Amino acid sequence: MRIILIGYGVVGQSLSNIFLSRRLENLRNYGFNPKVVAITDRGGTAINCKGLDLKRMQKVKIKEGTVAADNEFGHPQIDAQSVLQSVEAEIMIEATSTNITNGEPGLSNIKTAFNTGKHVVTTNKGPLAIAFPTLTELAEHNKVLLRFSGTVGGGTPILEFAKKCLAGDKITEMHGILNGTTNYILTEMTEKRVTFNKALKSAQTLGYAETDPTMDIDGLDTATKIVIIGNWIMNKKFTLKDVAISGIRDIKLGELDTASKKGKRIKLIGSINGKPTVAPKEIHKNNPLCVSDVLNAVTFFSEYAGRQTIIGRGAGGSETASAVLRDLLDIKYNLANKMIMLE
Amino acid sequence: MRIVMKFGGTSVSTGEKIRNVANIVRDNIRIGHEVVVVVSAMGDITNQLIEEAEKVENGNEEKIQEFIKKLFEKHANVIDVSIKNKNLKEETKLEVKKIIDELKKILTGICYVGELTLKTKDQVLSFGERLSALIVSSTLKDHELESHYFTGKEAGIVTDSKFGEANPLMNFTTHQIIQRIDPLIEKRIIPVITGYIAANQNGIVTTLGRGGSDYTATILGVALDVDEVWIWTDVDGIMTSDPKIIKEAKTLAGLSYGEAAEMAIFGAKAMHPRALEPVIKKHIPVRIRNVFNPKNSGTLISEGAEVESKEVVKAIALINDVSMINIKGARMVGAPGSYAKIFDILGKNKINIMMVSTAVSEANISIIIRRSQLERAMSILEIALLGRNLGNEVTAEEYVSVIAVMGANMKGSLGVASRIFTSVAKKDINIMMIAQGSSELNISFVVKEKDGAAAVSSIHEEFNLSK
Repeated sequence: MRIILIGYGVVGQSLSNIFLSRRLENLRNYGFNPKVVAITDRGGTAINCKGLDLKRMQKVKIKEGTVAADNEFGHPQIDAQSVLQSVEAEIMIEATSTNITNGEPGLSNIKTAFNTGKHVVTTNKGPLAIAFPTLTELAEHNKVLLRFSGTVGGGTPILEFAKKCLAGDKITEMHGILNGTTNYILTEMTEKRVTFNKALKSAQTLGYAETDPTMDIDGLDTATKIVIIGNWIMNKKFTLKDVAISGIRDIKLGELDTASKKGKRIKLIGSINGKPTVAPKEIHKNNPLCVSDVLNAVTFFSEYAGRQTIIGRGAGGSETASAVLRDLLDIKYNLANKMIMLE
Repeated sequence: MRIVMKFGGTSVSTGEKIRNVANIVRDNIRIGHEVVVVVSAMGDITNQLIEEAEKVENGNEEKIQEFIKKLFEKHANVIDVSIKNKNLKEETKLEVKKIIDELKKILTGICYVGELTLKTKDQVLSFGERLSALIVSSTLKDHELESHYFTGKEAGIVTDSKFGEANPLMNFTTHQIIQRIDPLIEKRIIPVITGYIAANQNGIVTTLGRGGSDYTATILGVALDVDEVWIWTDVDGIMTSDPKIIKEAKTLAGLSYGEAAEMAIFGAKAMHPRALEPVIKKHIPVRIRNVFNPKNSGTLISEGAEVESKEVVKAIALINDVSMINIKGARMVGAPGSYAKIFDILGKNKINIMMVSTAVSEANISIIIRRSQLERAMSILEIALLGRNLGNEVTAEEYVSVIAVMGANMKGSLGVASRIFTSVAKKDINIMMIAQGSSELNISFVVKEKDGAAAVSSIHEEFNLSK
């Protein structure tokens, strides 16, 4: 299967590690033989229609900062759009960084991939948050598949759990802790009784939070995930601008103390129960949703199966890359079935 | 003798060459032949027209004027050389200008609409032949011959509306050609007709696609019930092998229709089987001749030619730029439909299978495809077959060549295959795959690309083809 990889950051590189180390198992167990025919990063593109040597690409990336510096396969002047137009492949993996203002460049990349007949696996939440209904419609129209397991819950199969394991049932509401960084900050504040700013610093030191932590602490990251869950799992058509969002920037230690006294914790909860919201809320400490540190947890309420909670690590390069692999195998399985129906 | 003569693009690419064409026609008229001329567009014009049309589709109106100017100059320069008579020269140029102005309007239209359909493309393509037919006809006049030029449509060739690859309505076409062209021949006027171009029953321009101008020549040949169709090209005829590989390759004097059809894989110098179709039914012989060496009688393609010749092997072709895919899987054994599935997915992905071979044990199948399609073919086969108990291994041999050995007398002759493969084995060349069609006109096999030329040469020698 020929793959174009757009974005070669932590996720992209983790994915190439998985491809390298699990090649034989993937081939033997799943008949999956990935060939990365192009990688595009900020510096340009590397192309080899016979499949790039991923070890070599990693070395070039680390040494030169861009795969385009490769002396044989690198093309500094070629960007994602022209690669998608000119290189033949079955799949594009969109792993550029999230932009929630207009979804770019991911949104254009996904549209072009569809338009040129490529299936898409994205780890980039931006395009989905901005234009989820548009993208699913376009995918269907172009008869290609769109997969995005890595956008919610990282390696924890939250979307698959709700979509597949609860198939047939109707999910009526969901509540979740969907951002590890803010959960770490709130846990730190509660347990160590430190201020918000101090807890944020510590999260940044540990690499849990970005230098610009806005996306996380203002609840935007959680909101993008709510958009994805609402559209994909609960069949609601809404985008980021329809979510009521408030973050944890103004949480005071006193509020946490008051909650603790009642046997409760304050968590940043994303909910879909009627109107989609993201806000700090009190929940009981025995509620299975009440997880600490960087963990994620989501509770689905379904009509017949009742309340289900799934807990796991929500981010990280190799976790997200494993979600991408899952999506790729799912696409391979779907394509194979479409090509040849087994009796 | 009544003869349709077709002159290809290289035969009319310059003024001198067009004069040469006129000389050939005049010589044949003088010895009493009746001649109908079919011409292709000059040299590379057809490709230039397609390119320009595709360019203007994306909107670049300013460039059209430049292209039109160049196109006119190119044809005007040819006229300056091919026609000596001053008045005739100016008249012809004026006519060329009229035709090119019409093309300009169409290109501008494409530019504004931003759409190039197959229908419009056929219209654009027709201009190459219209210009060359005009110039050839005028040059004949300059040689004191009477001539009149026609588009395929004017001549009466009617097709269906499959633009880009139209099929003639043969009876209707014959009826019209007899009415329009026959009277001219009677009056000793030489008709010059555009190859490749026709029209549907509503008069909309169509093109004949594969087989091109040769097809026009054979259609006219059948309609006018000629004695022979002559395809003038730039080689002496169809050769025993590619002279670039085998220095001793020689021109074949005679071939059967079946052999000639098999030769289509020999490339541009041979005729497309589609163009042979009309003449096969009417038993009209086709002769391939060299414009630059008209003394040579060329290769005659006719009914029963295989009976007259004794050679078992007539010619050997080397087909490069192909790759081999091997699909292995014990589960394919005895599973009905397993090959159908493989062919189906390759077909749906527009990959043409050139050659297939498999053993009765069915544990594997080998397929030859164009090398440019290898990556796509491998990828889709892996997706469709692996991990699903259909095939457990899909591998490729990228650099291979197919060698096709052909001759109608191979049918029923014993020991031909043995001689072929022994001669190849003597050169220490490994044969990777073998196939023989049920017509028995052809044995094809696959070797590593680096061994291709040596294998061809060993067979050429074994069957004494240079003698």
